[in-house]
Amino acid sequence: MKRPTVIALAVACALGACSSIGGGEYGYSDYAPVNVRRVSVGDGSMSVVPPRPWNRRRDVLFDDVRAVEDWTLNGPLLDGITFISGLRSGHFMVRQSHRADQQVPKFRADMPPPEIAAMLESLYRVRGGAVDFQTLSIKPRPFLGANGFQFDYEHLDDDELWRKGRAVGAVIDGQLYLIMFDAARSHYYDAALPDFEAIVASARLRG
Amino acid sequence: MCLRCLELTRRSLLVGGGAAAAALHTGVASARIRPADMVPLVGPGFKPTDEDEKGLWHDMDRVEDEIADSNLLITDPKITGYLRDMIGTVGGPAAKDFRIYLMRIPDFNAMMFPTGFAVVFSGLLLRMRNEAQLAGVIAHECGHFLRRHEIRSWRDQRRKTDLFSIGAMLAGIGGAGAGVYLGNYVQLAQLGTLLSLFKYSREMEAEADAMGAKLIAQAGYDPMEISTVWLQLIGEEQASAAYRGKHRQRGSLFDTHPSDDARMADLRADALELKVPGKVYNSYRERYLATIGPIRPTLLDDQVKLNDPGASEYLLQTLAQDGWNGLLRFYEGEVWRLRNRPAFHDEERAAQSYAAAVVYPDAPADAWRWHGIFLLKQGRTAEAKAALAKYLAMKPGAPDAPWVRQVIG
Repeated sequence: MKRPTVIALAVACALGACSSIGGGEYGYSDYAPVNVRRVSVGDGSMSVVPPRPWNRRRDVLFDDVRAVEDWTLNGPLLDGITFISGLRSGHFMVRQSHRADQQVPKFRADMPPPEIAAMLESLYRVRGGAVDFQTLSIKPRPFLGANGFQFDYEHLDDDELWRKGRAVGAVIDGQLYLIMFDAARSHYYDAALPDFEAIVASARLRG
Repeated sequence: MCLRCLELTRRSLLVGGGAAAAALHTGVASARIRPADMVPLVGPGFKPTDEDEKGLWHDMDRVEDEIADSNLLITDPKITGYLRDMIGTVGGPAAKDFRIYLMRIPDFNAMMFPTGFAVVFSGLLLRMRNEAQLAGVIAHECGHFLRRHEIRSWRDQRRKTDLFSIGAMLAGIGGAGAGVYLGNYVQLAQLGTLLSLFKYSREMEAEADAMGAKLIAQAGYDPMEISTVWLQLIGEEQASAAYRGKHRQRGSLFDTHPSDDARMADLRADALELKVPGKVYNSYRERYLATIGPIRPTLLDDQVKLNDPGASEYLLQTLAQDGWNGLLRFYEGEVWRLRNRPAFHDEERAAQSYAAAVVYPDAPADAWRWHGIFLLKQGRTAEAKAALAKYLAMKPGAPDAPWVRQVIG
């Protein structure tokens, strides 16, 4: 498979838009278990404790952004959590060709919460195939001891499924720290939201 | 069948040596097909009688069922009724038999299926500047059906290739039993690709052009608007590709279509020939805007947020030929904000566009929101708070109201 295809699939999975690639029948899984203990995520600058075992996508297959890591409980079509740990200003949260017609904007350190929310919306529209995207709320919320924000949204994707998401984040020392939960709106969102909230509450910076 | 397939085909003629090669292989375009010679081959209530066509219709009915059930359909009765009335006006003898579906897909496309149902993408409505342009595209698609192009090209392809069983391919695409969603944007694009297998010859394209022009002229629309639509489509494709520093090469059917110049010239000649002296032809711009107006912000949003600055900027400039307003200025700001290239001073350009937008009385609430946010980033706190307060006054239930209230203090 060509490299851009792999990357595109990786991102698509992160957005819950494709089923597992690779697959267990070949004796190798794209996912590794995450147990109930403190674990580092992304580039290691942030750690969290999941309330029950989750699955982390291995980064062996993917040449993706180091500060970004994806987890799922029931498979990426149904639910997923994305961690962004210290994305620096002027960087993309996904790897993309500078010649792609449609692009996710770069993160900038001076982005206020609505602009970060708009960047995430572009991610869903450009890379996740969302045809409808509704912002439900943007409100202040402390995160990692900083003045952060909470962004709630829902989107209709090109597989005709409505999904719902919540992102909690903050810009600390010019870098973006964010935990983003996205799941099928019926059942799966409500089912894993308590996990997400526990994970957000457990988040710590390496220090 | 797929408007975009045809366009991509013709576009590729423009780029580099392909044009010369194509011209050599296909020779000079044949003489223009006169609209007066375009007689519909299908009457009201047409049903297939041949076995192969009956089979094709059976498969296509399943495709239509899937589309009719899609979550991506725009079902606003005012707009769907408007489209139904339009195809009922420019559909010739089959006008009452056509079905038309509007899908929320931000792409410049429309297609006619072999059984007489058309799918229009919402991106098409965004790009049409008046009703005559939309009527022209729909009439062109109707022309393919009325001249029986789908079944003719399908039979021709089968004779030549015998490569595929249409039933099997459609089952894979249209069958819910196969676990494939037809509504998927990608799936639809694949459907377009499938349909392009029944590719139209250059003669069929010319026929659909002539037939379409005749149909809209009879309905009182200015037939000259059709050539303008094609120019807009070509211009946008070029702008998008040029911005990313590349040529867009999609499809390989380039040798079957007349060059853009020849097609434009023919469309203009058709229009002149069709216009009856003394008869009034209209573009019905006001009626179009009145109908599309309520969903135009959504259509613009869907396009601009894809962050395809070349295409979006071209589109805004095209729509602004009919006059700038607050909505268009706001989305111009959105184009620069999302592009965000410091070398081009995009932050400043976005801030200027937002500031210009809020001067217009029709500025949307979001223009005040982003005007406020950019003033905030520039450190102009007092002005920012005033702009954000205006935003909240216009949209008290705004989803980001808690954040805005914290900023305003």
